[in-house]
Order: sequence, then C-alpha cells, then structure tokens
Amino acid sequence: MPREQEPSTNEHDFVLSALQENLRLDSRPFQQFRPISLAFGDEYGVADVRIGKTRVLAKVSCEVTAPYTDRKFDGIFTISTELSPMGSPAFEVGRQDQTELLLSRLLEKAIRRSGALDTESLCIIAGAKCFHLRADLHVLDHDGNLVDASCLALIAALLHFRRPDVEVRGEEVTVFSIREREPVRLTIQHLPFCVTFSYYNTSSTTSAEPGIFLQDATLLEEQCRDGEIVISMNRFGEVCQIAKYGGTPVDGLSLLTCTNAALETAKRFDKLVKEKLAEDEKVKDRGGLMAELSAENERPMEPPPG
Amino acid sequence: MASTIFLPGEQVPSEVLPRSKKGTLTLGPGLRHIPPATVLATTLGSLHIDHKKAALWLEHENGRYQPAVGDLVIAQIHHSSVDTWHCSLTPHTSLALLNQLAFESASRKNRPNLKSGDLVYARVSRCSKWDDVEIEGFNSATGKAEGMGPLKGGMAFGISPAFARRLMMGTGKDGLAKGGVVVLDEVGEKVKFEVAVGRNGRVWVDSGSVKTTITVGRLLQSADEEKWDVERQRKEVKKALRDV
Repeated sequence: MPREQEPSTNEHDFVLSALQENLRLDSRPFQQFRPISLAFGDEYGVADVRIGKTRVLAKVSCEVTAPYTDRKFDGIFTISTELSPMGSPAFEVGRQDQTELLLSRLLEKAIRRSGALDTESLCIIAGAKCFHLRADLHVLDHDGNLVDASCLALIAALLHFRRPDVEVRGEEVTVFSIREREPVRLTIQHLPFCVTFSYYNTSSTTSAEPGIFLQDATLLEEQCRDGEIVISMNRFGEVCQIAKYGGTPVDGLSLLTCTNAALETAKRFDKLVKEKLAEDEKVKDRGGLMAELSAENERPMEPPPG
Repeated sequence: MASTIFLPGEQVPSEVLPRSKKGTLTLGPGLRHIPPATVLATTLGSLHIDHKKAALWLEHENGRYQPAVGDLVIAQIHHSSVDTWHCSLTPHTSLALLNQLAFESASRKNRPNLKSGDLVYARVSRCSKWDDVEIEGFNSATGKAEGMGPLKGGMAFGISPAFARRLMMGTGKDGLAKGGVVVLDEVGEKVKFEVAVGRNGRVWVDSGSVKTTITVGRLLQSADEEKWDVERQRKEVKKALRDV
C-alpha cells in the first residue's frame, strides 16, 4: 500500500483542539524537540540520529572518478536519500514519492547549494581526477520530522568522515589507504541545519491571530498540519534556504519569529554535533600517532619453551 | 504464575502439557502439533496453560493484530460502497467490511451516517483466511449495541496488541486485574472518562477536557512501552493526576 494511512477524524480534530489549548499529545512545549541522540559508527562517516522515535542513518563514502567536464576544478558531491519500507510501511522500494522528493531536494538546497562542503578540495588533478563524495541517507524509522533528522545526520556524517590521503607526482596519483597514511578531514565551510516548523492555521477570518507553529512535529501532528516552513541556518544566523509548503498563507512577521526560533535550534544542533564529535574522537584516539605506528604486537606472557 | 519462554522450533516438554479427561489438547496461537505427540513452538513467546480447558498457547508482544471472531476492535472507515463500509483495522492491511445496517435499531431509513475517517467500535463477526474480515456494530444475536457503535469525539491512541489484550482481560475473582494493568481503574477513581479498547491496538479515550484525555492516553502508552508493573502504574497515575 503506497499511501500513508490518514489519521481518523477523531484524532485530527483532537490534535487541533489540543493545540488551541496550548497542549501537545506528548505534553511538550511547542518549540521543544523530542530527545535527540547522535551516535557515530566505528567507520569514518557513519552517523545515526534519533529524534524521539524517528531514526536516520547517514553514511558518507568516496571514490576517485573523473570530474564533470564543465566543472574541472570541483569534486563531485551527491546526496541520495532512501526511504525504505523499514521506516514506514507507506514507503515503497524503487518508487519515489512526494516525501522522498522533497527531502532530497531540501537537503540539496540546504547543504550542497549553500556551499557547506568545499568541493574544490576534492579535486585531485584538474579535469582528470577528483573525489566523488557520496552521502547515503537511510530512514530507519519514521515518526515525523524527517528533514531535521536527515540534515543533522548528514552534517554529522560529513564532519566525521575522512577521505584517504593522496599524493600527486606529475600525472601519477597515489591514493593511500587508511593504514598507510592518516586520512584527511573534509573542508566544511559552515554547518547549516534544517529546522522545520509545522503551521496550523487556527485563526478565524476576522481575528489577526498568526496561528500556531510547532517544532519537531510527530507523524500525527505532521498529518494534521496546514503547512510547513523549513528554514536552514547555521549558528551565525545565516539563512541558507527557506522553503514553505502547503498552500496556506503565512504572514511575514511570523516568518521572522520562526527564523529567530530556528537560530536557537541551529545553535543547539551545532553544539550537540561538536560535543559528540569530540567525544567520539576521544574514544577513537588510541594514544596518538606513536601508538598507532608501533609495530609491536601484544604478546601473551608465556614462559619460553624448554 | 511463572511462564517459560519458548523460541521458534523449541519443543514443549511433555510434562508440562495439561491432561484432560478426554485426552485431547487445544493448541492456541504460536504452537504446532507434529504427530504423534510433539508440540513445537512456531514463534517466540511465553507459554500459557489453561488446565481446565486443557489448552495452551504462546503469548508474544510483537507483530500486528490478526483478526479473530468475537474480538472487539476500533475500526476506521476508509470508504463506502453500496451498503457496506470498508474499514481498516490496522494500517496497510486489507480492509474489513462493515454492513451499514449492522447497528442497533438500524434500518434502511435510519442508519448511522459515517464518513471516511470516522471511528467505529465493532466486533469481528466473521474472519477466514480466504475471505474479507467482517465486523458488526452490534451484537447480532441479541440485536443490542452492548457498547458498540460509532465513536464520536475523543482521541484514539495507539498501543501494542498485546497490551490491548491485557487491558481487556478484566478482573479475576480475587478483585485483581488479570492483565496486570490498573491504570484505568486508578484514574477512574479520580476523574470521569469514557474508554473503548480495540484489540487491534487502539484505545479510544474521551473525557470532557482535552488535558484529561491526553493524560489518560499518555499513561496507557507509557505503561505499554515502558512495561510498568502494578506498583509503578499506581505511582505514575498519582503523579499524573496531581496536575489535572
């Protein structure tokens, strides 16, 4: 069945009437996120983000290819999203639906087009060889707010990723494996984060009430909303993109309020990612380069034979 | 009662099999008889035995709801055809049929007007492997609603089918809840609300205020997800009711 089951009229009406009374079903304030957890994999470039019951896994990998002929000095960076039936029975394999399309387009706008990743640093030999960086996003569990979770996972994975070191001698390129040489971090210019606001048009035609904005809506809340606004922003408050979906008009002032709220959230995400990265680095650090380089094996303490 | 956990393929030891006068056994879900005298588990679950009926079955937490005759369910109207409504019991499964006249004192001229998305508390009247499941909004034997019918207002919360079953077990002779769920009883002592439990993993709660409804729903959901024991349930209910 390709379509998500719509919530019943009872649920729909109840969610709206609860919002009118400033209540959410999970008794969160309107601007609060569900608990967020961010974990990194053993490999470089794997990040696992959970926001409440939503779970997204991002994996960054790279290979050496020829660059596009019209962009000789740039490496290639592609983002691919996959909504598998594991996330929700409404997702089908091999069929792009609206959610997936919007998600990949938003990420493209927020991360690729905002120049978060310096693609020029992925170039090895101009016009001949470059790195093709590929980010795969897997939605493992879908309970709303996919965009924020995916964006967070992607940024975290990019920061965590190290590409193999290369050496160029004339036309010859040597790519060193992780064992031979310490891999290199990517050059990330800034960290854009997506923050989604679900909009509920509660105002009647006469009153000038702006309506209700929710952050981190659950799946049910998403299904009941009138519109959504996705704001991508880094911690300096630089807006990378604003997208508004779902027909209903939103007045300018509320949009400004949203941007301010988005800045708070972006700062929080930024802090979270950096904290977790530092933690992960500490765990992975096995006593510096000298310990890594040591060829000595651990030997069992056995008495010599004889 | 200490229950034993069985893994798929594991054999139920012959000592634990109940003995009946007739020498027959009744096997419930999750068990399979392999002649002459082997009983195997086909799924992961804990073994439950009813010695009086010489019946045994496995109970498990996972999986989606499988309809069975007599189950009370909360169905959601999907669409309507000539004189039936097609309702979904669980998302992304084939729809169940509900006759438009299968309600208390319903006639051709006077029948409930239900639209797509409305909820109905109904009973599974027929189900087979090869046919669509049929449900009814009244007890067809007596013609009485017996609490069934369209659900207006309120909120439907999702719970696991296993928890829904526990909620519906009722109280035993000793006055204790058989399923080990006391949330509803405890809340009911303090505040007024209506509730309908569907075996398909949905609870419908309605009280006058939005806040109370949310509180009851949240309590049920957390009791299910976090597997609260009776003591914990009592404590949490007390805590939650302080704010209402």
